[in-house]
Amino acid sequence: MSEKEPSICEEKNYNQLFRKFYEPVTKFIYYKCGDLQQAEDIVQNVFVKLWKLCATITFSKAKSYIYTASNNSFLNEVAHQKVVLKHQKTVSDHADYESPDFLIEIDEFREKLKTAISALAVKEREVFLLSRVENKTYKEIAEITGLTVKAIERRMSKALKELRALLGKEIKI
Amino acid sequence: MAENYDTDDTFLGRWIAGELSEQERIAFEKTKAYKQFNIINKEVQLLEGPNIDTEAALKAVKLKLKSKQKRTNVIKLWQSITVAAIIIISSGLFLNSSKTYTTAIGETQNITLADGSIVNLNANSSITLKRFFWNNDRQLNLTGEAYFTVTKGNDFIVNTSKGIVKVLGTQFNIKDRSFFELKCYKGKVSFNKLDDLTKTFILTKGMQVNISDSKINEGIFEEQAPKWKQGVSSFKAQPFSIVLEELSNYYSVTFETSSINTNRLFTGNFSHKNLDTALKTTLVPMGITYKKSSNENIIMLQNK
Repeated sequence: MSEKEPSICEEKNYNQLFRKFYEPVTKFIYYKCGDLQQAEDIVQNVFVKLWKLCATITFSKAKSYIYTASNNSFLNEVAHQKVVLKHQKTVSDHADYESPDFLIEIDEFREKLKTAISALAVKEREVFLLSRVENKTYKEIAEITGLTVKAIERRMSKALKELRALLGKEIKI
Repeated sequence: MAENYDTDDTFLGRWIAGELSEQERIAFEKTKAYKQFNIINKEVQLLEGPNIDTEAALKAVKLKLKSKQKRTNVIKLWQSITVAAIIIISSGLFLNSSKTYTTAIGETQNITLADGSIVNLNANSSITLKRFFWNNDRQLNLTGEAYFTVTKGNDFIVNTSKGIVKVLGTQFNIKDRSFFELKCYKGKVSFNKLDDLTKTFILTKGMQVNISDSKINEGIFEEQAPKWKQGVSSFKAQPFSIVLEELSNYYSVTFETSSINTNRLFTGNFSHKNLDTALKTTLVPMGITYKKSSNENIIMLQNK
């Protein structure tokens, strides 16, 4: 253990980790399980454990511990539900598409898009949402999920193809 | 013609990340599918994840830690410290603790020690030894009288009020009352008087030392085993006070001696089985009469 690293046992360092990682980890778990309450419970319990183990986990290892432990508890919980996404409140109804005419009723399309995303397989959905909604780079996603960048590119491609298969008809060209 | 996005399973992923080559990108943007992918991609990026209140969650976690973990941790910590301390102290006390064997007046006891050595403890006597690790440290304290049959091994040490008896493997008797007497029945023992530890007396079979008036007397004896083991006390020219003291070790009586001379010497025996017989065999030859008190505990002695 390096002496220079801040100790997680110190409350201010622990709080810092919490504020930094609680939200992204909870979203990560949420994109897998689709139940925000469950995701929050999982991640909060991981942080409770982190406090208990504060002496054995170094500050730099905390991130990977939090993600791995959360993922493991998620895998241990059976009930997976549909991911429910919502639109940003700031969304403009007149998004600038090259050909707005291609779209039928935009609200209808958006509802269908959300349903289609929920229907994706978990392993594609988590990667896809981390990239598209959380704006994480493939490298960051690779770190979180333990996948290779190549595998993430494949999952992204597959997710896009499935979405197009489900929604392509709605987009008239 | 199959398009890149169909044949290359990382193609769309690389497109999203902006990692297509210029050539790939231009070709892709010309396809019909591109427009659909592009709209899907743009629309997807307008979505947002759940709202998460990190501060509320932090409070919730702190509460969980405080109400459940922290307190129980503290309790557990104290509990385990207490338990550990109790275990350490008590096991220390226990391992270091002594065991005492005591005989009452008129009672004898045979004690076999961990190494197989035997202690025959005479009446009104006691030995104290460590409860554990006897074989590493064969050492005991004696008050009163005992006959030892020691198995071979490390030094076997008997601490008495008058001196230290050390043996290797032998049979001997120690009498440590107001009169000290050590008799060696077999093997070899050494004796160091407490107030003069530099001088060592070595005794072999048939040799004895006794201390009277803090002077050591060496001598010899003939019997094969101490008389007391056969229920008899035997005296050879010993002050009568010693005889009376010996009587009180086998019978719970005290003697009122103010009217007799207890320094006179006595030679003879008495039995441990019957008080009246014992009194007659000791008192008659000395010309002393006796009267018992009403509760038979005090015996008044008078010259005839």
